[in-house]
Amino acid sequence: MNTPAPAAPPILNPALPQRKILRRLFLTLYLRGRSSRGLRLKTAPKSVTQKLLLVLLVYGGFGMLACSFARQPVFALAVYLHGLTFIFLAMFVSGSAGEILFNKEEADILMHRPVSSRDLLWSKIRVLIEVSLWLAGALNLAGLFVGLSAPDGNLLFPFVHIASTLLEALFCTGLIVLAYQLCLRWFGREKLDGLMTTAQVLVVITAVMAGQIMPRLVLQLTNKGWLRFGPETWWLGFFPPAWFAGMDDALAGRGAAGAWLLMGIGVIATAVVLWLAFGKLAHTYEAGLQALGETVSKPRTKSQWRWTETLAQLPPLKWFSPVSRTGFLLTTAYLLRDRDVKLRVFPGIALMLIMPFIFVFDKQTSEGFGLAFSSSFLAISPLITIDLLQYSQQWQASDIFRVAPMNGPAELCHGARQAVLWLLSVPVFILVCFVLWVVQRNPSHLLLFLPAFILMPIAALVPAALNQGVPLCRPNEEARSAARNAKIFGAMLPAGIVSGIAVWAFSAGWFWWMLLGELTLAVPVYFGLRSLVSRLRWQSLE
Amino acid sequence: MIALQQLTKRFGAQIAVNALSFEIPAGQIVGFLGPNGAGKSTTLKMLTGMLEPTEGKASICGFDLREQPLEVKHHVGFVPESGAVFESLTGLEYLEMIAALYGIPKDAARIRIQQFIAFFDLSFETLTDKLLGAYSKGMRRKVVITAALLHNPPVVFFDEPLDGLDANAAVGFKALIQTLAREGKTIVYSSHILEVVERVCDRVIIIDKGKLVLDGKPDELVAAHNAGTLERLFTELTGGAELERRAEDFAKTFR
Repeated sequence: MNTPAPAAPPILNPALPQRKILRRLFLTLYLRGRSSRGLRLKTAPKSVTQKLLLVLLVYGGFGMLACSFARQPVFALAVYLHGLTFIFLAMFVSGSAGEILFNKEEADILMHRPVSSRDLLWSKIRVLIEVSLWLAGALNLAGLFVGLSAPDGNLLFPFVHIASTLLEALFCTGLIVLAYQLCLRWFGREKLDGLMTTAQVLVVITAVMAGQIMPRLVLQLTNKGWLRFGPETWWLGFFPPAWFAGMDDALAGRGAAGAWLLMGIGVIATAVVLWLAFGKLAHTYEAGLQALGETVSKPRTKSQWRWTETLAQLPPLKWFSPVSRTGFLLTTAYLLRDRDVKLRVFPGIALMLIMPFIFVFDKQTSEGFGLAFSSSFLAISPLITIDLLQYSQQWQASDIFRVAPMNGPAELCHGARQAVLWLLSVPVFILVCFVLWVVQRNPSHLLLFLPAFILMPIAALVPAALNQGVPLCRPNEEARSAARNAKIFGAMLPAGIVSGIAVWAFSAGWFWWMLLGELTLAVPVYFGLRSLVSRLRWQSLE
Repeated sequence: MIALQQLTKRFGAQIAVNALSFEIPAGQIVGFLGPNGAGKSTTLKMLTGMLEPTEGKASICGFDLREQPLEVKHHVGFVPESGAVFESLTGLEYLEMIAALYGIPKDAARIRIQQFIAFFDLSFETLTDKLLGAYSKGMRRKVVITAALLHNPPVVFFDEPLDGLDANAAVGFKALIQTLAREGKTIVYSSHILEVVERVCDRVIIIDKGKLVLDGKPDELVAAHNAGTLERLFTELTGGAELERRAEDFAKTFR
């Protein structure tokens, strides 16, 4: 059987640039998404391109806010533009880096091919930077022209700002890539997943919070004369967007000494980050990819028990039916552990959880309708959370629910609903009330939150009543943010009306009667919905 | 063609592959067997350059795995057990991308892909119109096998290649690897379907807990151990016979 070894296969076209092939591959994967079950070529890329254009349009529209900086000094405009760009790029890069840089399945596809780790890394980085620049370009487009109106600016501003934005995109991408590589090196794959998920969730929530709070805060501090800053302000040296704003001011503005210093810090920091991320650590990238395939889960010791296991043994969970308890534990586990679910759910409801705090702190809205309206966000938060919980990468595993001897999804939905209410919505509600009490010390304001609290269990039942309350049963590809926005709007409308009535009743002295009326209506609606849900049957899988 | 010397892989304190040594000449089909967690996939991943060995040496077609990893990768084809593909590419886009990574010009790649399509009874429309995510498991497996053989490698590693293939495709595939071996290619075939291994392979290597347990021609090994079949020999060597006995006791709990 043994025959002479065949000649090695000829390398037919060694000059063909692998980086080009890989860059095209990763750009296609980014635009189309990694998973596409059931999609056809004719629809998939087209819809994704349209989506991307829409995103760029939205970014461009958001960038128009720079017009409010017309005739302001170059440095003020540049700090605003670079701050905004930094937040949006950090959100995008941290959200995409894990998927693009360290994809577990990719090892089985590419790592046995003759591709160097450096080419692989560079191709991915290039795609990340390219897309970052599209987004940054759209976000800064209006600002480029606004800068021309600056009293201390000159015609060089658009060109200098393009260069400084490019530098900022490189810095931001490099920083996140570096963070990923270091975390993978120090903590291993499992901890990296957890750390990065937490970091991404925090970045998104911080961005939402910063977007809402910062303009109010800056306005208030500036009006009080507490906030005066320029290139010479020492603490701006700790604020990366200010480095790049310094570049704008140095080359196309006043050219103050502080601006040159900030620019110097920015250039040096970018160079160091790029050298570390793409030069020094590039050779360890392959080792990082290999580490993805190495599962080294340590067995749990007795002291490392999961608190959910204890929770399941305690009332009221102990009194649930086994199916409801399973629904509760499954939902809890995915809310706490699954990267994909956490990245969808928490950023998705961040605005709803943060808005009440903003209303509480904002003097103009911290009384009357503003306060009552803010509680509407909390009332509908379980509805949106349960709606988002339907989607999972492991949706096919939910077939087990249909195989199990259950007539319908009612008990499962019940468990999921209780998990969302008691582990997320109610604790946040209590926290907001506590903060409101600490800030305002006015018990009557707390009363305005009661109508929303009564609405909460009804809102939590709505997805199940619409047959959309089974957790983790639908593919990610079906999650559409446009539809979710419509749902938020649809749910906010009745919640807002209830808030309006509550404020009117409060001022008219009929608040308790209004509350009684709401309860009288809410109780039958709640039990009606529960009855509807309990009669639901599994729909045929098509 | 393939030579391993004391090849070892540790994951932390756990030894996945323990000082494995053997040689495989050209033109041989070797069944690489072992129970779950024996270290088969880890060994294959090391030999294809996907995992770095902790200790020991290995060479493929004379190229050292540590010193010349890209040359080794040029000379091997690999069908991983996972059958992973980029789901949002069409079959044709995927195969052309793989061909490009090996430096095969587009026209030559297209001709080669057409040959595989004809062999596997795939339709060109499916390959150009549907994204891989929409393929059935069997169709996806055919694409993965095509991607492994597209650059005509002298050494091919198959990890559970028949998973998902229908009976006809499996028969065709078995005939294909026998023909490839006659053409001088070295095939390492890892599978749990021992009947197929017994029928197709010239030699079997059995490992357990990362260590070499047995190495030889299937019929000679079966005869030497008076086992009757390769499956019986395998279960006796790797503790399967004990599991068989336990299964009988366990089944009684259903009464």
